[in-house]
Amino acid sequence: MLLLQLLVDGAVSGCAVGVVAITFAYVYATTGVFHVAHAGLFTLGGYIAWWLSGQGLPFPLALMGAVAVGAAVGAVMQKAIYETLMKRRASPLVQLIASLGLLAILQNLVALLFTPNMLQFEAVSWRLSMLDIGPIHLSLPQIWTLASSLAILAGLVLFSTRTILGKRIRAVSSNRALAEITRLRPFDVYVVVVAIASGLVAVPSVFIGVDQAMQPYTSVLVLLTAVIAVIAGGIGSLPGAFIISVVLAVLQNLVLALMPGRWSIAFTFMLFIVFILIKPTGLFQTRLKRAS
Amino acid sequence: MNFFLSYVILAEIFAIMALSTNFLVGVIGIFSVSQAALMGVGAYAYAVAAMAGLPFPVALLLALVLCAILNVLTSLPSLRLAGDYFVVTSFGIQLVATAVFINWSDVTGGVSGIAGIPAPSFFGVSTEEPRNFIVVTTLALIAAATGYALLMRSSYGRVLHAIRLDELAVVAAGRNVLRLKLGISAVSGAYAGLGGALYAIFLSFIDPSSFEIHVSVLILTMLVVGGARTLSGSIIGPFILLSIPQFMALVSLPPTMVGPARSLAYGVLLVAFMLLRPQGIAGRRL
Repeated sequence: MLLLQLLVDGAVSGCAVGVVAITFAYVYATTGVFHVAHAGLFTLGGYIAWWLSGQGLPFPLALMGAVAVGAAVGAVMQKAIYETLMKRRASPLVQLIASLGLLAILQNLVALLFTPNMLQFEAVSWRLSMLDIGPIHLSLPQIWTLASSLAILAGLVLFSTRTILGKRIRAVSSNRALAEITRLRPFDVYVVVVAIASGLVAVPSVFIGVDQAMQPYTSVLVLLTAVIAVIAGGIGSLPGAFIISVVLAVLQNLVLALMPGRWSIAFTFMLFIVFILIKPTGLFQTRLKRAS
Repeated sequence: MNFFLSYVILAEIFAIMALSTNFLVGVIGIFSVSQAALMGVGAYAYAVAAMAGLPFPVALLLALVLCAILNVLTSLPSLRLAGDYFVVTSFGIQLVATAVFINWSDVTGGVSGIAGIPAPSFFGVSTEEPRNFIVVTTLALIAAATGYALLMRSSYGRVLHAIRLDELAVVAAGRNVLRLKLGISAVSGAYAGLGGALYAIFLSFIDPSSFEIHVSVLILTMLVVGGARTLSGSIIGPFILLSIPQFMALVSLPPTMVGPARSLAYGVLLVAFMLLRPQGIAGRRL
């Protein structure tokens, strides 16, 4: 039964990682920036919600506040930093270093404003409520993580295939020059994309924060797992990245039965190495854009 | 006086680290955020070897070779593919290395680290005193800088520059790009091993927190601020960046906030330099 519980726990945290993965992939596929600062936005979301709920705001409002702040910070980042660099035709390396700088700024700002230590959502009363489904124990925050992540996946896929704006975004990401000719403004589209991704990534951050605890620097590990999933799933495929995230997290949790959890990062990284040795193009898509 | 000596010694050690990063980031133009991990491997390898009673040259050589081999082996899979795969590999190496430093406690001493790492003696003079050890680090930096300059002027160095400018052209000219990249990552690894070993000797104590991802970001910031691809850039950067904590000491911050405040400053510097001066103070365009 322990194995079943580990499996379910893994699937739940995998869904949270999946949202990080699809939002990262959304930015990467459209703007081409290897947006490591995404981990910083993940950190930010949880702390904003923690602060708002500590101010006495009801939880749904705190969550919405975190999403709004994330989207705004993301949009400013794209407009002020990435856009400037892109217009100057800075190399991908320069954009990446700037993104790393943004990550350091976000994480350490959070550490300075709040605390560099562990933090728990004391103000959220239902964070310890449990639900038993047969032999499996699930906490209420876990159920919310699962439900919200699946909803975000479905929403993002529908948005990008069914709405005008979503189609415009796909047009820009598949052929920027052609999109520009048809009077789409790529830089405006980029701002929208980064804002959407940055807002959405706050959701799993908040629920994971409620379920367990938060620490400013752990998000790099989450992002690394997510990016590995994106590469393994194939850059262009959102469901692919999501599925691989879940598989990775489940595997990570299952090896807990075999070896201590502190080695799980080594295990994930080993899987990545094996993966790029065998099938670097990803399971669901073609090769990385700039990796030729 | 001792305070100033320590500052110079540390800056010299980090200048070697900046040169190690320069080979990858500046010369071939691939991102690296795992320099501190390699430095840690060098430091731990030296510490373990020296504590086991091996003489200084053997222990140092061991650290250098181990770092070179490790860097080649870990980057081999992603260098075959180039581009953004290497970014993931670099982050991965850094996080895995920290996990190993913390958890392989039989060898690394876990969180409490290794203390009492012996300083070598030359001609009967112990280098435990900073005023003696500064001779060692200065000589090491001169050797490393000379190696860098000679390598960049050789035909091998010129091909490396060509890889950054146009990888396809180098392939078309019949060069084996993968082998060239692996060669330079071995050199970069050996430099990091040297930096790590000197660091272990100087502090005589090492623990996992000295080789975390923040330190990798610091080393990258040193290179970016000083300027990529030049010798002077790699030397100016560490001296400037290591003086920042001294200025910060003027503002009284609670002890838990010192680390984050420093890292925040590094982040601001990275973004500012990329936006305003991507060539750094004395470097070339990235």
